[in-house]
Amino acid sequence: MPQVTGKKRKGILGAATLVFIIAGLYWGLVKAPPDAYQGDSQRIMYLHIPSILIAYLSFFLVFVGSCLYLWKREKRDDNLAYGAAEIGVLFTALTIVEGSIWGRPTWGVWWTWDARLTLTAILLLIFIGYLMLRALVEDESRAASSAAILGIIGFLDIPLIHMSVYWWRTLHQPPSILRPDKVPWENIHPELLTALAINFVAFVLLYFYMLSLRLRLGEMHEEIKARRMR
Amino acid sequence: MSMWGYVILAYGIVWGAILLYVVSLKRRYRAAENELQRLSDAKES
Amino acid sequence: MKLLRQTLLLLRKDLLLELRRHESLMTMFFFGAQLLFVFNFSFELTPARVSELAPGLLWLAFLFTGTLGLTQLFEGERGNHCLDALLMSPIDRGALFLAKTCFNIFLMGLVELVVMPLFWILFSLPSWQPLPALFLIVFLGNVGFCVLGTILAAVTLKARARELLLPLVLFPLMVPVILATIRCMEALLRFGELGDALPWLRLLIGFDVIFLTVGILIFDWVVDV
Repeated sequence: MPQVTGKKRKGILGAATLVFIIAGLYWGLVKAPPDAYQGDSQRIMYLHIPSILIAYLSFFLVFVGSCLYLWKREKRDDNLAYGAAEIGVLFTALTIVEGSIWGRPTWGVWWTWDARLTLTAILLLIFIGYLMLRALVEDESRAASSAAILGIIGFLDIPLIHMSVYWWRTLHQPPSILRPDKVPWENIHPELLTALAINFVAFVLLYFYMLSLRLRLGEMHEEIKARRMR
Repeated sequence: MSMWGYVILAYGIVWGAILLYVVSLKRRYRAAENELQRLSDAKES
Repeated sequence: MKLLRQTLLLLRKDLLLELRRHESLMTMFFFGAQLLFVFNFSFELTPARVSELAPGLLWLAFLFTGTLGLTQLFEGERGNHCLDALLMSPIDRGALFLAKTCFNIFLMGLVELVVMPLFWILFSLPSWQPLPALFLIVFLGNVGFCVLGTILAAVTLKARARELLLPLVLFPLMVPVILATIRCMEALLRFGELGDALPWLRLLIGFDVIFLTVGILIFDWVVDV
């Protein structure tokens, strides 16, 4: 009975996700001390950093799914690309919102045209375009292959956009976790790092929970269509 | 707004949006499940 | 070699059609000229400021006219199953891509050849000297724009509201080209040489080469269902 074990597995995944989310909230909001320079607003980073990593992961999966679909023409791969794009757009948008709310007390403005913000906003626009393309092409397989092309081109374009936007301007503070001169755990307080790690795990679990739900949904739509055809 | 105000705003928006998305996903899921059920019932009868 | 010959053949067909009807060229040209007037009304373009704003304004005008061209690019193939017929003929898809790209580059280039001097006349820019170099930069920008634009024009071909969808998906992807072209033009206008903007030129050429290659490779999948 694969269906039952699948359901069970999903239940375990859901429960684990919930546990980590609650632990993440506790560590992020209560247990971790406020940052020495930024104060409590730094707590937003526990959401911000996992969100952007999840967003990047999504766009990578869109690329993988698109390549596989063009190669093998399996509906499953297209489903993966579609689902990942949808969730990716959500997390990219959330990343921008979090960054904006964090920027207000830290930089004094909601938005600044710095490289990383701009890059994230462009990513969001690219993948909103991707979803719109999917919505506006009626023929199914046509929509899938069109979207796959856009997914691949969009992904290949990201390094170029990254480079150009960085040359254009950089006033963002350098990444505080990944710095070449120091190992990660020397840069920040261990409690902060733990809070970040827990939140990161929570986001990854949540992501896979959402993605599996989304993939199953896609499969069911396929099934419905197949049965109607008969 | 105090620092905590910003923090609460951010956490509220993020978890609110994620919750909303998961709920809508579940709703679509249920609708598809019902549709599948209906189709298989129709075939049997 | 075969690719080149097929490309030229297809390009000749498009040029011939355009020569007979000149729809795209005329609309693009008049749209570009109109934009110059709109710019004049929207900004206080004193001779002192115009050199500063010229790169951005010009490239914006070219982007819009180029988009106009792209939306018309496959118009001839849409009706009467012409695209299907074209795909059935023993022609490499890469050649089709190259021909369409070259065609739009050609249209944009022609429009720019007239609009740029017009800009210089209308806003009385002091020096005509950087014009040839600027034209070269703009041409490289055209290549990047049309290469990616052709792929996306083909991708959005069967979409509803495709004229609206195309710029929406194209412009975010165009960011490197937009930035690189404008920075290079700025450097040329201000200092008369590229100088610090040289990396931008490399980026621009890199973009052109990368997506030209990607386009030739990927176009098989773009037009096939």
